[in-house]
Amino acid sequence: MKFGVMYELSVPRPFANGIERAVIEGALEQIRLADELGFDTAWAVEHHFLEEYSHSSAPELFLTAAAMQTKQIRVGHGAVVCVPEINHPIRVAERAAFLDILSGGRLELGTARSSTWTELGGFQADPDSTKRDWDEYVQVLPKMWAEERFSWQGTSFSMPERAILPKPIQKPHPPLWVTVTSPGTELDAADRGIGCLGVAAASFVEQERRTQEYHRRIQLCDPVGAVNDQVATLNFLYCHEDARTGAARGMQMLGNFGLLNSHLLFTREAYPTVAYPTLGNLAPGKGKKSEKGSPADALGVPEGMCVGDPRQIIAAIKEWESIGIDQVNFMLNAAEILPQEQVLESLRLFASEVLPAFPKAEPA
Amino acid sequence: MLSGIANPEAREAGAPRLIDLGTEEVNLPGASVLQVLCELANDSAELLPPALHPTLPGIVTWGVYDFPESPWGAFRLAQTRIECRSGTRPRGFLVSGVIDNDAAREALQSRWGYLLAAGQIDFRRGYDGADVGVRSRDGQPMLALGLRAPVRLPEDVVQFVASIHPVHTPRGYRLLQVDPRHSLQRAERGDPGVECFDAEAWGEARIEPVYPISASICLADVRLPRLRFLCRPGEIAFTGTEPIADK
Repeated sequence: MKFGVMYELSVPRPFANGIERAVIEGALEQIRLADELGFDTAWAVEHHFLEEYSHSSAPELFLTAAAMQTKQIRVGHGAVVCVPEINHPIRVAERAAFLDILSGGRLELGTARSSTWTELGGFQADPDSTKRDWDEYVQVLPKMWAEERFSWQGTSFSMPERAILPKPIQKPHPPLWVTVTSPGTELDAADRGIGCLGVAAASFVEQERRTQEYHRRIQLCDPVGAVNDQVATLNFLYCHEDARTGAARGMQMLGNFGLLNSHLLFTREAYPTVAYPTLGNLAPGKGKKSEKGSPADALGVPEGMCVGDPRQIIAAIKEWESIGIDQVNFMLNAAEILPQEQVLESLRLFASEVLPAFPKAEPA
Repeated sequence: MLSGIANPEAREAGAPRLIDLGTEEVNLPGASVLQVLCELANDSAELLPPALHPTLPGIVTWGVYDFPESPWGAFRLAQTRIECRSGTRPRGFLVSGVIDNDAAREALQSRWGYLLAAGQIDFRRGYDGADVGVRSRDGQPMLALGLRAPVRLPEDVVQFVASIHPVHTPRGYRLLQVDPRHSLQRAERGDPGVECFDAEAWGEARIEPVYPISASICLADVRLPRLRFLCRPGEIAFTGTEPIADK
């Protein structure tokens, strides 16, 4: 099992001068600690216009800063929006290669297409075509990195032959992922040989079904590049010696995230389309209560959420591990509702009490 | 979380009065429904009471219904609503409506709390789109909407969001949740057009639509529901919601 930290860079109102810098610097401090403690990856999302919820509009810059301040932890662009009105594919390939070089070959590249009208409408992108655009991007990115010169006649973009520079350090290229919000995207990932970067709440039963189907299907894939067959899921982390304190603070974080999330205008709510089969992404309030009598039940913690004491968190992660999840990525805060010192203490306790229960496999 | 900043009593004076909350369901088969969504130039928090929360960006929705049959005869209904959240759930805050049938107007106001004015509604459905025109009783244009180049969609793709109506009830002035059920037989989406909107005529001069997003037209059986929830207008749904069946 691998562990990551995930950043939306949510910023509480009022947006006083300096608050965004404080949030970013707090997040970088957490990543430095996560690096020291042995976490595997620090992910940052790409969002635009999502007031309070996420001010992470230039994650490649944030991750460059993170890479410059750390030694081991990988940096995950989770994920770059593969829509031409937002990011041209050539720029995606160039920036990713640059970040791979600057980080010493530590880049993980997630791909996505945006799920909100707030973002797609702001860039005047057509929601009906984002899936097609994304598909074209993931087909061409490995070629842009691998081929000395590249040309393309496509649907979402075309280009005459050019050298796309620089080339990434990792060969043949950094691991590719796709964020999975809509049911069925895990099948798209499997068919293309790329990893599943879960960002939406799903029950153990539903996640197990999707993971099994993904692993079955990726065996038969026509890969766009080097196969990445990992499945990651998103979670929230608040770890405390006292279960009630852990659950209370953790649920405070989940609740705040859910409230900020609810302001967003999800694409299908505004624009009826088959391209967006679900209304939203991660909504913690939707998470089912555990059906297995978890000790967290009495504290109102949804199934599988990593908030509580170390024993409860180990139990939740073991359950995720048992259904084939390879990586759990944690949100550590939501619009600074938890003080920075509490977040850092939670990380330290997780590292000392939970991480030893999941020893890393020795390299072959 | 952002909340509405309008005076919670701002709509109290003109709000419909429900003498009891035991409204029975009514089925309205075979309705044509045109929905148009449009971004607002203004912050929708200004248009919402503190119980409700704005979307980002703010959205105005128009829903125009052509009911060929009902217990009150055929009628047409047009509504202007502000998209919002009650708690974390999507809702449409009713600004007001126009209806062309007096008996239906009386029933919808007194049983479900629709704030309605009498007026004229033209609803034209053609192969290449749809057009709707709403005029006041004295013939002044209030709204003109269009849908062009329709494309067929699966029926479950179009969303119908429950309404929130300011009403007087036996428990006092409240926000009433009204969630009609739409069983769709056909759904299409097209290019939206907003030719005319007289915000003042709808009772909220501050509504400033600027960027049409989508238009859909559906054929649906609509069921007007029993009443389930009230909310105090000055209090968020987490603390201010009152289930109707409890009392």
